[in-house]
Amino acid sequence: MTIKQQLLPTLFLLFYFNPGHGQNKLKTERASNEISTSFLDRTEFKVAYSGSIFWNNGLNLGAEYLWKEYNITRNRKRGRRTNTHQFLLNGNLGFTTNFNTQTDTGLYTNFGLTWRRTNKKGRQFSIELNPLGYYRSFLPETYEVDGDRVNKVFLPGRGYYAPSLSVGIGKERKGKIRSGSYFNVNFTLRTPYNAGALPVFNLQYGFRFNFKKKK
Amino acid sequence: MQKILAHASKLILVVLTTVSLFSCSKEEDLSNLDDTLFVRHKNADMPAYIMGNATEKVFLITLHGGPGDLGLGFRGTAFSEIERHYAVVYFDQRGSGMSQGSYSENELSLDIMAEDVLALVTVMKRKYGYDSRFFLLGHSWGGTLGTATLLKDQSDFKGWIEIDGANSPARLYDQYIETFTTTANTQIALGNSVDFWESVLDFVSEIDPVSNKDGFLELNNKAFDLEKRLEEDGFLNSPEEGDNIIYNYNILTAIWNSGQIAYILVDEQCIFQTTDFSGRLSEITIPSLFISGEYDMIVPKISAEIAFENIGSDIKELIIYERSGHAPLASEPQRFAEDVLRFMDRNK
Repeated sequence: MTIKQQLLPTLFLLFYFNPGHGQNKLKTERASNEISTSFLDRTEFKVAYSGSIFWNNGLNLGAEYLWKEYNITRNRKRGRRTNTHQFLLNGNLGFTTNFNTQTDTGLYTNFGLTWRRTNKKGRQFSIELNPLGYYRSFLPETYEVDGDRVNKVFLPGRGYYAPSLSVGIGKERKGKIRSGSYFNVNFTLRTPYNAGALPVFNLQYGFRFNFKKKK
Repeated sequence: MQKILAHASKLILVVLTTVSLFSCSKEEDLSNLDDTLFVRHKNADMPAYIMGNATEKVFLITLHGGPGDLGLGFRGTAFSEIERHYAVVYFDQRGSGMSQGSYSENELSLDIMAEDVLALVTVMKRKYGYDSRFFLLGHSWGGTLGTATLLKDQSDFKGWIEIDGANSPARLYDQYIETFTTTANTQIALGNSVDFWESVLDFVSEIDPVSNKDGFLELNNKAFDLEKRLEEDGFLNSPEEGDNIIYNYNILTAIWNSGQIAYILVDEQCIFQTTDFSGRLSEITIPSLFISGEYDMIVPKISAEIAFENIGSDIKELIIYERSGHAPLASEPQRFAEDVLRFMDRNK
């Protein structure tokens, strides 16, 4: 066997498994998108129902500021498919209560980052991580007892660190003022709560608005 | 844009108005109270739901079981009847139901929970007047907590009502073994569910005779099976469903809280192996009523009998409900309401 014959299989393997080779190189393309510099263009406001339906119900108001956006194009059997990926800075302010009792009312705010993928049909999938969160409960008439003393508490309630994670789907409406709708499953942790932490699950259904859009 | 802003502001206005309407305090009608207030004590905020007829300012403070059950879990036929005559205070204990707060595990103890109950009395007096009168009622674990409370300070209470109460839980281990064996032998002799009761005898024979936490939990779990079998064989009435309280609690929160407090008190602090008030029951001198189900397997009736013998009260009564297990208030609600009301009428 000549040296050439000995090297051929090795070269073949190298070529075959080189990720940058031939067809594979075309499989994924990534291109950053130009983003408008206008604040209102890049900002969407959102309003949503937020709650567990049976117990807590409330309203969530928020805003998302588009930070980065790029397209990823992949070659699939049925042709090229381009999805838009976005990173958005996210902030929320919400109110929740159990209308049946007065024992589970609170205001919350949280801030973080959202990753969202949108396909060509406008269907969206997003993950929203809000590591900066605060929940303030509001209690009805409350009396504090300390030894023999008892005092009525002004604005009773407690503050909790409340980071949250939401995973959801949505639909984009390009060029419209009501620029999309979404449905999220939200998980929030209130801590320190009692002698540990309290996990809270909520559903969110709402709409996004971009007031710079024409229609 | 303006149109949308106008719509949005209308929506927010409607929501805020609705919320403020719901949060407005109700006009107090003492003959039909429906009030919720919170007691803040040692870093915990605990709700007390006060319902019923408070025209005489007689309040029945209830202590739920568990630890970790729900204060409003008492509500049903029996307590509706009691509420027609007196006000009932349903209390979510520290770490239970919709209680909240921020404290360390060291601040979760029977001693502090007993102080919480006394703090509740202090708040009730401040809210409804210092001429208010109180009865204390504890079911199951509430019997442990109630006994601990009374041993701390019984001066504010007109009477103590213990329903299937675990006043000395450290003794439950031996009581389980004895009760399971006796009940199994009786049922086998009667020819009822013989295979099941023989398996109970096998189960008991395999349990470590020396009290320990794991053995206790096994016995406690088994007790529910035994009661279920006795119910199926027609020895006790099926407990009635209580009031629908599912919307009064965030059930996910309540379940989580219940798991947390049970883990800390039962698993970590081994409270059911270390608490025994039997030697101090003579210190309780207020009128006392003990109610137990004949077929209570979870806190066997022997516990009520020992408490009745050893309590220091001159006025004391022991009633065994023949058609009940661990929940006479749900198995024989009418009789239960009558007995409790009679006791309160006499001692208020």
